This record gives sequence, C-alpha cells and structure tokens, in this order.
Amino acid sequence: MNPRSGSIRWGYGTNGFTNHRLTDALDVIAGLGYTGVALTLDHHHLDPYAPALARRVAGTAARLSALGLSVVVETGARYLLDPYRKHSPTLLDDDREVRLDFLRRAVAIAADLGAEAVSCWSGVLPGHVSRRQGWDRLLDGCEQVVKAAQAAGVPLGFEPEPGMLVADLAGWHALHRGLGSPDGFGLTLDLGHCRANESAEVAECVRQAAPYLVNVQVEDMRRGVHEHLEFGAGEIDFPPVLRALAECGYRGLVAVELPRHAHAAPEVAARSLAFLRAASGQPAGQPVGQPVGPPGQRRPDRQPRRAGLAELRAALLHPAPGLRAEGPAWLRGALAGVAAEPARIGAFFAAAGRRCGREPLAAVPGWSADEAARALLLSALPAAEVAGQARELYRHGDAAERRAVLRALPLLPVGPDAVDLLHDAIRTNDTRLVAAALGPYARHLDAAAWRQAVLKCVFMGIALSAVDGLDRRADRELAAMLAGLSAERHAAGRTLPDDAARLLERLEKGN
Amino acid sequence: MRIFDPHIHMTSRTTDDYAAMAAAGVRAVVEPAFWLGQPRTSAGSFTDYFDALIGWEPFRAGQFGIRHYATIALNPKEANDPRCREVLDLVPRYLDKDGVVAVGEIGYDAMTPAEDEVFAAQLALALAHGLPALVHTPHRDKVTGTRRSLAVVAESGLDPAAVVIDHLNEVTVGLVRDTGCWLGFSIYPDTKMSPERMVAILREYGTERMLVNSAADWGRSDPLLTLRTGEAMLAAGFDSDEVDRVLWRNPVEFYGQSQRLDLDSVAEQATYAGNSIMRGGA
Repeated sequence: MNPRSGSIRWGYGTNGFTNHRLTDALDVIAGLGYTGVALTLDHHHLDPYAPALARRVAGTAARLSALGLSVVVETGARYLLDPYRKHSPTLLDDDREVRLDFLRRAVAIAADLGAEAVSCWSGVLPGHVSRRQGWDRLLDGCEQVVKAAQAAGVPLGFEPEPGMLVADLAGWHALHRGLGSPDGFGLTLDLGHCRANESAEVAECVRQAAPYLVNVQVEDMRRGVHEHLEFGAGEIDFPPVLRALAECGYRGLVAVELPRHAHAAPEVAARSLAFLRAASGQPAGQPVGQPVGPPGQRRPDRQPRRAGLAELRAALLHPAPGLRAEGPAWLRGALAGVAAEPARIGAFFAAAGRRCGREPLAAVPGWSADEAARALLLSALPAAEVAGQARELYRHGDAAERRAVLRALPLLPVGPDAVDLLHDAIRTNDTRLVAAALGPYARHLDAAAWRQAVLKCVFMGIALSAVDGLDRRADRELAAMLAGLSAERHAAGRTLPDDAARLLERLEKGN
Repeated sequence: MRIFDPHIHMTSRTTDDYAAMAAAGVRAVVEPAFWLGQPRTSAGSFTDYFDALIGWEPFRAGQFGIRHYATIALNPKEANDPRCREVLDLVPRYLDKDGVVAVGEIGYDAMTPAEDEVFAAQLALALAHGLPALVHTPHRDKVTGTRRSLAVVAESGLDPAAVVIDHLNEVTVGLVRDTGCWLGFSIYPDTKMSPERMVAILREYGTERMLVNSAADWGRSDPLLTLRTGEAMLAAGFDSDEVDRVLWRNPVEFYGQSQRLDLDSVAEQATYAGNSIMRGGA
C-alpha cells in the first residue's frame, strides 16, 4: 500500500515569526498543531555569536522536546553576518570564511538540537567574480561544510535558490557531481521555487528529487516570480504535489516558509496548517505522523488532547479577521475567572456563544467559536473539578452547551467516567447531540451501545463522518444490523443513505 | 407576510402546527414558560420543562426553519404551591441561556400574597439580568389585576419599555396605553381577542408598542391567528408596512432588548422587502 499524503509531518519556519521571541514562536507553532520547526539562526533567534550559546542551545533543545517539535536548522538569515548587505558574505564572496564559520557553527548547533538536517545555499554570484571562480569557491566551501556535517552526523541539505549561482535542480546536480556525490550531501527542496523556475511540474520535480531529499520547504508561488505566497495566492495545485511527496518515501519535515508574513504570523500559520491538512486529506485537530531519527533522538509523541486545546486556544485568542473583536478579551478573563473560582463556570459557559460568536473556526475545521470557547473553559478548571463540572454543565445546559461538553470530553482529563453523558445524548432525538456523542470519546462506549448509536445515526440521517474511528470499529454485527435496516428500507421502497450503503459494502467485502 | 409570534406554547402543539406555521410565514416564536394544565408538584418537573424550552423545542422548530426562543419564570398559578417555590432559585440559571429572551410569564392569577412575592422577585431578576419581562394579566378580575400589575412594575425599577403587559382587551388596553409598557394581545378562537376586534383596537390606538400573539397552547387555540390578524388588517385598509410592524418589527424590537435575538437567516427568508430589518443584537 502506498503511503498517503496524510502521513506528512508539517513544520513552520521561524523566519516567518521574526516579530516573536523564539520561545513564543515555538509555543505558537506547536500550539497550532505543527510537529516541526525550521529554525533560522538569527540575531534574535538563537544567535550563534551571542554569549552563553551552549546553554541557550540546550534550553531550546529542551523546549523543542517538551513541545514535541522536530527541527531542521536553516542558515538564510538576512543580516546576521553583515548589517549592510543582505545574505552576505556567501560562500562565493572574497570573505567567504565568515560564512564558512557560520555554517560550521550551524552544523554544531543542529547536532546539539538533534536536528534532522541543516540547510544552506550558494549565494548570488558577485559582479567581480567569474562564474568559474564562483564554482571553485562553492565546491571548496561545500566540501568543508559536508565534512563538518558528516563528522556531526547531521545531513546537509543544499538548497537551490532562484537568482543564486545554484538556482535549480540542474544546478544542484552539477554541484553534487562536482563534489563527488559525497555521503551526507543532500537536497533541500523548496516546492514554491519549483513552480517559479523549474520547467517540470512541481510534483514531477518532487519525484526527480526524491532520492536526495533531506529537507522540504513549502509555500505557494507563481511562475517566474520568486515571492513566497500564502497558500491559495499562487499557482500551485497542492494535492498532487503532496501525494508525490508521500509516495516517494520522504519522511522528513515539510516546513512552511513565509518570511514576509511575520506581521500576522499566528493567523497565517493557522491558516497554512488548515490548508495543508485539507490539501493532503488529513483530519484537522490532531497532529499526525511520527518523528524520525534514531531512537535516542525521538521526540515524545504529541498528546492529541493538548494539541487540540492548543489549536482551539490559538484560533480563539488570536482570531482571524471577522470574528468578533471583544471575544478574545472576554475569554481571557473568563478562563482566569474559571481557574480561580470554578463555580463561576456556569455563567461563563452560558454566555460563551454571545461573547465569542458561533461562527465556524476556519483554522480548526469542525469547531465553532462557541464550542471551542466552552471546551477551553472546561480545560481551565482545576483538574479535580473537570469531571464534576462537565456533568453539571451538561445537565443544566441548553443544546449548544451540551454539545460543547460532549465535544470537549476527549480533550479533558476525565477518563472514562463521563460516558454516561454519551448515553444520555444518544438517547435524545436531537441530531446535534447524537452526532457530538460519537466523536473520539465514544471509544468508551461498549460495543453494543456503539453499534446501536451508529445505527441510530443512519436511521436519523446523521452523516457517518460524525462517527470517529468508524472503519476501525465497525464489525460483522454492525454489518448484520445495517443489512437488516437495508432490507426493511427496501421493503418500504426506500434506500439506505449512501454513506451507510458504502459502509455495508465495505464490511461485507471484508468478510 | 413574515410573522414573529411573541407568545405561543409550542410544547403543546403538534408537528403539523409547525409545518402550517412555517407555510403561513411564521419565522420566529417566543415560548413563555407557563403551566401545563396538569399542576406540577416538584421543582424537578420544572427543570425538565425548562430544559425542553431551551433544548428540544428549538430543535423541533428548527426543522421547519422557525427560530425558537423562550421566556423563563415560575408562573403565578403555580407560585401558590409551596412545593414549587424552589423553582425561583433555579430560574436565574436559565436567564443566562442564549435562547432565553425575557422573564415570563409572571404576574397574577388569583392575586394572592404568594403571587405578590414571586412576581416582585422575578421582576427583580429581570432587572438584574438585563432582560425584558412578560407579564400575564389574570383571566378573572382582569381590570384589577392589570392595575395591580402596572403598580408592581412601576415599583420594580424596571424600564416600562422592557415590559409587556399581555392578554389585553378592549377593557384593559386604555390602562396600559400611556404607561410606556408594551401591549400584548392574544388572539383566541372564542375567548380573549378575535382578529376583527384586534383590528379595531389597532385602528383606535395605533401600531406602536403593539404585540399580537396566538398564545396557542393545550386549550382551544389556533397558531395561525397571527396570520389571520394580518389578513384582517390588510382587509381593513392597513398597508403591508403596518402589518410588518405589528407582526415582525415590534416583537423583534421588544425581545431584541435581550441582545439575544439572532434572526439573520430567518429574516432573509421573509418575503417582505423594502424595510430596515431590526436585529436584536448579539
């Protein structure tokens, strides 16, 4: 079976968070649900020339580990080495030793961070340097960096950049050959660049590049214009590209690179992840994929519970334009109030729809603003109070409040104790409640109750996409029940809903 | 004709009624909590009822494209049963809910001391929660009951513009007209008001602060009498803007004071054009 594009691990480049402290940027990136980060070493982000580097690197490594973020190290800072000339000096300049020293430091930092790769590029050929001379300098510089990378055990990803001496895949191959195809010299591929300056389709570029890939960057772009664009603003048709990436066996990070969007970084990052997940057919709300690397460097798996809440928090407290502006301020106050005085949650819970709105959250598909706000309110309670308050809020809630409690359950530290709320919801004839009861928390329903609930969905016309883990859990007995319903419907001149008919077909095929 | 029925007990009505109401142009309703015919004997019985008013009934209405809101209170009749008094402590919780747009029905049934106490306490709740109040006037001794209700409202500190005095008729309309309170009229097949009598009152007193409802419930009643009243207004020479004011804009303005009406999607479906749709905030 081919891997699906749903297995891709998404990262975000810190060069898109230049208005954030590095620690804050990492928190936001992880909070939104990314599982990796492309860390551009810069004067304000882990400056390799500032004091106490070792301590700061260790601190960053610990933070990455705690957040469950994988990392690649990027070396494209604009004014780190020379405050007057962007990206200077490069490996092609007269004073290229400065760049070499930086790249060696970057390799060492990457090794200490447990990075999956360190990335670099050639630089633009200076006017006074001949092409021949430039290539000689590049080959020499790369040889030295590869040696350092080999010694440190970090793959080097060399990135073609439009406008630079090595501008495309053909240039990378020439360099690769010129270096003698050394171990540890890989390719950093920017998918947007492929659209800008490769003649082949982006997906085809991916397939050709696959054997050498150690690092991938992603953003939208237009033909002939090297401008990193938000998804949807350029010309790339992403689903086939992401499929090609998954099918070629690449397991590294795919990191969004939007260095000109730092002014709105959290919103842009949230939108980007939602876009990429949709384009790759991943469900929203939970990080997917496993970290790579030797076991000793493995990051702990992200907890879906935390990730879900973090995404909701990011979407509500830093909302996209269009959501009501006073919502975040009210919610901050309410969260603090609930943490301090748990008994106040009832009034906050009831008011959440009026205060935060009821619009669907673009960044967290499947969640509306009021549901997300209510889930966060529950999560703000002291842990010992959560189960009891959830039960009370459900018991005294209107339909929207009850639905929010049901949806929040899998995100809360309540264990299986709240399963009676699912039973209550499934007993109702309110489709909103029945559907909300069949999310991830329904794993606590026993098989008989779960089958009856699924059958009730079919009966009530609730789309089976509401049922979490349907194909995993559906069994012969459910198939028999569906077949019975189908026969009954048939006798009455009616049919099963399409999704139920397809499920029955799958189950019967499987037997 | 788009219709907002500001007082109807849908709990007691069939699904066919919803279908007929939707077909007649009813886009939104307010269901006041009241008694159910069979007296209740415990607070638990009320909570299930209140929960239905903010849970199941809006869902049922929604299936017909009708927006359902509620008013919550301990009604005057059952205020007299000490076993139900603890309901008063449960009411505030419901007044926080999105679908609750007023305190009601409150007021008098037999004008007992217990009713006095519960009426005043619930006007205070309306004030505290920033909600309007729906005041039921008694069926017996109506004039006295209406006068006394107005006196209690005046004492409460609640803005008269946030109060509707309901179930008025030719005899009581004049008592309320100049108080600043809204005037509610329940159009019933036999009792209370008929469409024709309602039209005569609108002719005499105008359309300002006038609310027309069906008050349909478990008794002999008709949820389409709002529509019939609109038709009678047109037949009597009122224009469609005046009908829209009485049957839509007035109730939207009154309950909109709760800041909880959200009629965007249902108002758009309405066939009436050329007006400024008043939204109830939120």
